[in-house]
Amino acid sequence: MNTKTLRPEIGLVLVFLLLFSACKKKEEDDIETHNPTPYTLEIPHGFPTNVNIPEDNPLTVEGIKLGRYLFYDERMSGKADQGMGMSCSTCHQQAYAFDNPAGQGTGTTGLKTKNTVLPHINLAWNPGTFGWNGSVASIEEDVLLVIPDPTEFASTWPDVIAAISAEPMYPPMFEAAFGSKEITPERIAKAIAQFMRTMVSQDSKFDRVLRSEDNFTESERRGLVLFTTEEGADCFHCHGAPGNPLMTTHLFYNNAKDTIFDTSSDRYSVTNNPRDIGAYKATTLRNIELTGPYMHDGRFQTLDEVINFYSEGLLYSEYAHQLMHKVYPPYGQGAMLNPQEKADLKAFLLTLTDTVFVNNPDLSNPFQK
Amino acid sequence: MKTMKIKIALFVLAALIFTSCKKKDDTDNTPVTGKIAISFEHFINDQPAVVNDYSYTNAAGNVYSFFLVRYFISDVELYKSDGTTLKIDDWTDHFYVDTDIPHTLLWNVYDEISSGYFDSLSFRFGFSDAKNQSFMFVNQPESNMVWPEELGGGYHYLQLEGKWIDPNGIKIGYAFHLGRGQHYDGSGNPIPPFIDNSFRVSLPNSAFSVKAGETTNIVLRMNIENWFEEPHIYDHNQWGGDIMQQQPAMLLAKENGWNVFSFHLNNN
Ligand code: HEC
Ligand code: HEC
Repeated sequence: MNTKTLRPEIGLVLVFLLLFSACKKKEEDDIETHNPTPYTLEIPHGFPTNVNIPEDNPLTVEGIKLGRYLFYDERMSGKADQGMGMSCSTCHQQAYAFDNPAGQGTGTTGLKTKNTVLPHINLAWNPGTFGWNGSVASIEEDVLLVIPDPTEFASTWPDVIAAISAEPMYPPMFEAAFGSKEITPERIAKAIAQFMRTMVSQDSKFDRVLRSEDNFTESERRGLVLFTTEEGADCFHCHGAPGNPLMTTHLFYNNAKDTIFDTSSDRYSVTNNPRDIGAYKATTLRNIELTGPYMHDGRFQTLDEVINFYSEGLLYSEYAHQLMHKVYPPYGQGAMLNPQEKADLKAFLLTLTDTVFVNNPDLSNPFQK
Repeated sequence: MKTMKIKIALFVLAALIFTSCKKKDDTDNTPVTGKIAISFEHFINDQPAVVNDYSYTNAAGNVYSFFLVRYFISDVELYKSDGTTLKIDDWTDHFYVDTDIPHTLLWNVYDEISSGYFDSLSFRFGFSDAKNQSFMFVNQPESNMVWPEELGGGYHYLQLEGKWIDPNGIKIGYAFHLGRGQHYDGSGNPIPPFIDNSFRVSLPNSAFSVKAGETTNIVLRMNIENWFEEPHIYDHNQWGGDIMQQQPAMLLAKENGWNVFSFHLNNN
């Protein structure tokens, strides 16, 4: 063969190669193969199919495992060497659906958080409005905020990175999760967020009834009817229903507790919309038995107090949400429930407790094996 | 010449490279269909509704404000001048509108609409009983519209909310919510069958044309004051803040709904 005939042939081959490759999407440089094991979040019966998992932080078995260790690791405050070790789990305790019976959290320096601790329940479905006022856009962002917050870790990232890097277990875990041993704030945030997205509560009696595996008692059933009817207690518009089983709308309301309002941490402080004065997130009522004290300021110690409030304790203000229409005549100061109705409503609320969730070994402290 | 032939072959192949990634085109490239996009507007007294503003007075004389409106429309039908009817149902046969969620105010209808003149359109406000199935929406915000099983199930067709000032000067919330209605027995228990309160909205003055390959922008405007005015004057002081369990009030809403919407063309 002479070169003349060879060259066009090579050209043709090249052209064909081009044809076959030109349509492929540009692939990330996967030369140094880093293949963490994908983790599929199962959508529980009746739950939303839309989950809020950022594209740049897919769930992986290795990422979740790392996140679990970091969530429970007191070195995360970067101050363990000063006797001020603290982890997310110091405030967010599994036995209480990752809430805290103390109400407010107490940070490494003894300062208390402005509002009560929020539980971690089905946060993979939160649309991007975390915190009582919805000011935090993602779990990742929340982690970044906890480190310097004077009422939480009151620390610095260099101290945290140093403390985590000093633990020999971690660099290989970061490598398994993210492809290299490098430990950065972003990677810590991503790993913890992955772990927290697996905190799925879907095995309460309420869920089992919806799956036809169990039945409500008569009292629980009457409680559900009260919960979901306007002439009853009318809770469902803000706190969900069997057809909205996250038991929160993820929206913000002023639920008529006060006549004057501290607007420093309410929804208004985020939106500047006067409709949001005194408004906070209508938190999920899942595991509500375990997450007291109640409301953003922890003013109610028990569910009975909460029920009494919605029954006869509402206060009129022009900022009360329009759905709190029972503030007004002919209802008096609330739903005006009789003792039996209060007991029924409470019985229903107690069906939202998920003991499988608070005992789930996959969510427990990995340092206590 | 040999090299010439090869050059031609290369050229052809190069041309192939540039075209091979394109989606397969129809053999005949002249489109015979266009698209429609429906924008939703919310007006009170011919002006865009302003939130939290107590300058509105309804036909009953109630001074009121508007905070939000959320609703479903379904089964949209387009009536062509040649007598044919087109149903919008290719990707979805319904749409959810929420004044608090900007992207719900524009429906880019998926269906290919055959080009030509249309005399009018109509739609169902809410869902017909057959379509109003409990648990059909699992995702928010639609699932936030759930209508309790006890009251008939399915979904709210409408949540119109604000406040009105009662005779004592108190600002009272109104949750003007429409969905399935109920009959009650003597002791206050609902007795099936439940009542379908959805209704068709026909817009006689809604002529438009669809041009091949183009999108026609249609505006459906809810004139909120009309919910309270014709043929029935609706008085918040009479019905109170919540009406999901007051079929007589929901019936007024249903019967007042016929002229709540108007049709407009958007020329931008
Ligand atoms: C000192 C106690 C404390 C510690 C430590 C703490 N948190 Fe929190 N957390 C809170 C409080 C209080 C809130 C509610 C804040 C608010 O909105 O006012 C909260 C809220 C949250 C929320 C929002 C939940 C929701 O439903 O919107 C997330 C997410 C969260 N914390 C994650 C973490 C993570 C991750 C860590 C560890 C890096 C952590 N927290 C450490 C006290 C704490
Ligand atoms: C208008 C919306 C709305 C309605 C209706 C409503 N809630 Fe709430 N609920 C809220 C909001 C908002 C909060 C949080 C308020 C705060 O923290 O200041 C809340 C908080 C709670 C809490 C405490 C949650 C926690 O984690 O501390 C319980 C329990 C509760 N509601 C139960 C009920 C019950 C039972 C009903 C029906 C009788 C009801 N709610 C009706 C909006 C509503």
